[in-house]
Amino acid sequence: MAVSFPKCPSSSLPPLQTRNRAWSSPLSAPHQVGDSSKWALLEATKRCHLSVSSATNGGSAVAPVEPSKKVQDSGTKTTPTDHSTKVENGIRPTVFSSNEFQDLKTGPDNSGRESTVSITVVGASGDLAKKKIFPALFALYYEGFLPKHFTIFGYARSKMTDAELREMVSRTLNCRIDQRENCDAKMEEFLKRCFYHSGQYDSEAHFVELDKKLKQHEGSRISNRLYYLSIPPNIFLDVVKCTSLAASSENGWTRVIVEKPFGRDAESSAALTRGLKQYLHEDQIFRIDHYLGKELVENLSVLRFSNLVFEPLWSRQYIRNVQIIFSEDFGTEGRGGYFDSYGIIRDIMQNHLLQIVALFAMETPTSLEAEDIRNEKVKVLRSMKTLEIDDVVIGQYKSHTRGGVVYPGYTDDKTVPNDSLTPTFAAAALFINNARWDGVPFLMKAGKALHTKRAEIRVQFRHVPGNLYKKCFGTDLDRATNELVIRVQPDEAIYLKINNKIPGLGMRLDRSNLNLHYAARYSKEIPCAYERLLLDAIEGERRLFIRSDELDAAWALFTPLLKELEEKHIAPELYPYGSRGPVGAHYLAAKYNVRWGDLGAEH
Amino acid sequence: MTILRFYQRPSSLSIAFSSRHERSFSGSSELVTLTTRRNQCWRFSPLKSSNGSPLAGASWKDDGKEMPVPKVPDIGSQLAENTVSITVVGASGDLAKKKIFPALFALYYEGYLPQHFTVFGYARSKLTDEELRHTISTTLTCRVDKRENCSDKMEQFLQRCFYHSGQYGSEVDFCELDNKLKEKEDGKLANRLFYLSIPPNIFVDVVRGASRSASSPNGWTRFIVEKPFGRDSESSSELTRCLKMYLIEEQIFRIDHYLGKELVENLSVLRFANLVFEPLWSRNYIRNVQLIFSEDFGTEGRGGYFDHYGIIRDIMQNHLLQILALFAMETPVSLDGEDIRNEKVKVLRSMRVLKLDDVVVGQYKGHTKGGKSFPAYTDDPTVPKGSLTPTFAAASLFIDNARWDGVPFLMKAGKALHRRGAEIRVQFRHVPGNLYKRKFGTDLDKATNELVIRVQPNEAIYLKINNKVPGLSMRLDSSNLNLLYSERYPREIPDAYERLLLDAIEGERRLFIRSDELDAAWAIFSPLLRELEEKKVVPELYPYGSRGPVGAHYLAAKYNVRWGDLSDSS
Repeated sequence: MAVSFPKCPSSSLPPLQTRNRAWSSPLSAPHQVGDSSKWALLEATKRCHLSVSSATNGGSAVAPVEPSKKVQDSGTKTTPTDHSTKVENGIRPTVFSSNEFQDLKTGPDNSGRESTVSITVVGASGDLAKKKIFPALFALYYEGFLPKHFTIFGYARSKMTDAELREMVSRTLNCRIDQRENCDAKMEEFLKRCFYHSGQYDSEAHFVELDKKLKQHEGSRISNRLYYLSIPPNIFLDVVKCTSLAASSENGWTRVIVEKPFGRDAESSAALTRGLKQYLHEDQIFRIDHYLGKELVENLSVLRFSNLVFEPLWSRQYIRNVQIIFSEDFGTEGRGGYFDSYGIIRDIMQNHLLQIVALFAMETPTSLEAEDIRNEKVKVLRSMKTLEIDDVVIGQYKSHTRGGVVYPGYTDDKTVPNDSLTPTFAAAALFINNARWDGVPFLMKAGKALHTKRAEIRVQFRHVPGNLYKKCFGTDLDRATNELVIRVQPDEAIYLKINNKIPGLGMRLDRSNLNLHYAARYSKEIPCAYERLLLDAIEGERRLFIRSDELDAAWALFTPLLKELEEKHIAPELYPYGSRGPVGAHYLAAKYNVRWGDLGAEH
Repeated sequence: MTILRFYQRPSSLSIAFSSRHERSFSGSSELVTLTTRRNQCWRFSPLKSSNGSPLAGASWKDDGKEMPVPKVPDIGSQLAENTVSITVVGASGDLAKKKIFPALFALYYEGYLPQHFTVFGYARSKLTDEELRHTISTTLTCRVDKRENCSDKMEQFLQRCFYHSGQYGSEVDFCELDNKLKEKEDGKLANRLFYLSIPPNIFVDVVRGASRSASSPNGWTRFIVEKPFGRDSESSSELTRCLKMYLIEEQIFRIDHYLGKELVENLSVLRFANLVFEPLWSRNYIRNVQLIFSEDFGTEGRGGYFDHYGIIRDIMQNHLLQILALFAMETPVSLDGEDIRNEKVKVLRSMRVLKLDDVVVGQYKGHTKGGKSFPAYTDDPTVPKGSLTPTFAAASLFIDNARWDGVPFLMKAGKALHRRGAEIRVQFRHVPGNLYKRKFGTDLDKATNELVIRVQPNEAIYLKINNKVPGLSMRLDSSNLNLLYSERYPREIPDAYERLLLDAIEGERRLFIRSDELDAAWAIFSPLLRELEEKKVVPELYPYGSRGPVGAHYLAAKYNVRWGDLSDSS
């Protein structure tokens, strides 16, 4: 376990020490050097990291047996002494600036060669790369989570120099609010490790050039390569083909992060997977769903499995319904081209919300290991009833004028066809036909141009059977049930609505929240989902990435519905920009005796 | 404030009856509409009446913010109006001055008292009505959140306060009181409530005098009795026997003011009005329950009474045991007083008799801190030098029924400790087969869920849960799902005495202790108390202002428990 799950290196260590997953970076060095009481911590830290990087020592580009390799490696790691040497080397400023390549041989070498990670962002000039990927990489570097030696390459068609890329990247970097010191210096160091290579996405020759450049930076280290495909789906395969044929690592691992969309339906998704698998093994493919990297989605499993008080309630016996709600308060805003060919169901529901349902509803996995968790998720997805058109309501926003401001309709967007029927809103009722969840409606709702921006999970419990306080609740007992709300964004929070007595001489009941507001308790900035996912990909932690069979099962649920919507040209219910969405969602909920928790008088 | 207007109209008390009793004649249609309104919760009083008189049933109390304003019909001129006369016996005492009169005023101020009422003080000292009013007025305060009209209200209240001086054992003096009461009652249907704020040795004298000479001829007569209810099983049942010579069970209201505390009241609501707690409420999920009471001061020169009783009788056998019974009882058939007390008796009777091995007693000693010296218990001039009376006790109790078999219920009560507080802590078991085991160190029981109900100060409910520390690593942390009353309910929480007095006036017996309950409670503690005294068990000394004797930790350890209030993260 300690081995296959690098974040908790050793069971024998006290909790404080097992937590540390930071690379032994310059940032942490001052605490560690020369303090013998920290040896255990150092050891833990190192074992954690080395078990990851050394897993690649086998030399093959494919790493199907990584876990077992880690088992072997973690026991035989280096001693504290040589580790401290490494740390001290790490804090030498020169190491990172001019003398990057010399640094290579200064480290300890008794466990083999050093390893390095090269991260190539394919589509480096794109929006996602600028706004999310480079900043996330910098944040990881700043917090000391990247390995000591790493290289970042931007790859795109546009002609750019390294300096131009750096200039572009530097505009979007910022430092954590809570750790501003050295920010500029850090940024400078980070940018020095960023390079650019211009090339066509389908040219093997260009990738061969990239490979050469990468080798030059990697020196004689064991090279691990991560490709982040931040490009349109139609060129996924070209790039994958070129990278795997021309720019794979020769002695370390090569991994490819792919962003959604993963096809448009079961068939195209399967075709994409097939295509990818011509060049990659399953465990080289990291399908990212950035929702799974959100803090509270991560916390969902912790809540369920490390608290006694929730798991007994986690079934049809106590839970009346589950609601997964996503809303944005803006529309496509002139960027509807991509969206229009996918629609909200493919864009949000079939991936983000369904993934959350699977995590929420899965049985207890055997361990926290990625394969165990993904096995359980697949089981949930495969137990789900295929979605039918009767259980779905779709909507599209229309223009709306409020306070003198005119908000455009979806079809007013110039990038959207005027007669588009693409849903910008959808609500759906899903069912999991297994022993735990039979009959419990899982309601999903996702929409653009709504009145709030939010993502949350609401668990409504049944009413108390034979409630002694019945008379205090009015006629509908279901309106005063307990409710657990996990607000994923904004303002991360967990709260449990309970009934309690209003203080005073009467016996009036009230619903209050047992509350945990993250911002109040944890002043630290919550890391962006991309940071976590990039780090996981570097570390080979696959828990939060979507396996091929998961993806197939997810598409199987939605594809018949999506086809039907398109074949029958179902017209979406129009709703005003900035409204609470089409009322049809209420009727859908009513059909299953549910009330949306987010649209009540009180949330 | 609806209630206020309500009661200011004539015959308002009979309106209160009307919702439950056919004998009300008026306003019932109005009330029916009220009762069926949503979100109004009514309190129900038992249908039985104490002595054949009608009960003030189902009177409604509410903070009334959004209550509808009922049109009170013009009624009552043709019927006998009701009145309540509240006689505080021992009116010159401390409790009367500090708690009872202020509580009565608060009830009046908030409109909970019936339109016509009379308050009498009765004691031996010679006082005029004016003198009594003056004494009372110095302790009255208005609610922080409702200052308006306060002095008017106070004046009106004081006008209804009177004093009668008499001997506690003299029937003649009570006859005189009766005459005065009749005068004030003025032909109305008279209900009488006697609050015995006097030492226990004269309880029976007063009950005899009052019941024989000053009982209501046509309404109910009720007696509120304060602890101590005896010193052990025998003296308690003797007291009950004597009371019952003059009173029937329904007339006796044994007060335990802890039961009037807001969060103790809320305990049943939490359990029975939420789905999420009841499934966990058993030995399957609960590892132990801790009932903790601490005061941060000693006897401070007033140890005479205390020395005779000790902390076990003073706090544990009544307050803490009552809370335990409410906590652990099975779901009652209804919220009716008798149904709840039936369930409480069942719990108490299922409990194992306490043994000396399961108890730790302590006594505080002098302590100097920051140049200030705090006296020991035996430094108190009112306490005998060689006193062995415990000022601290910890005990582990067990309920041998299907729900609680094997779950330790730990109690702890002490004076002169490092802080003041009363709380209930429910420690849950650890997660079986915890996937996150490695994050918790070796002792899984140190990171279990815990539900804390803080009764005082700063009323709060919180549930400790494990969650992930935000960030890239997988660090777990214990956080609280929190409900802090002062934040959510900025209004002042009423004093326990207000609730209990009101309940007694309304005949709501849920929070008063029935004779069989009292017997069962003494049965658990009497053998231990006797043994402590016979064997002259020496209490473990602990410094004034400390966390109490370490013996309490060893007692907890014996049952694999850790006190939740003394860990760092409490």
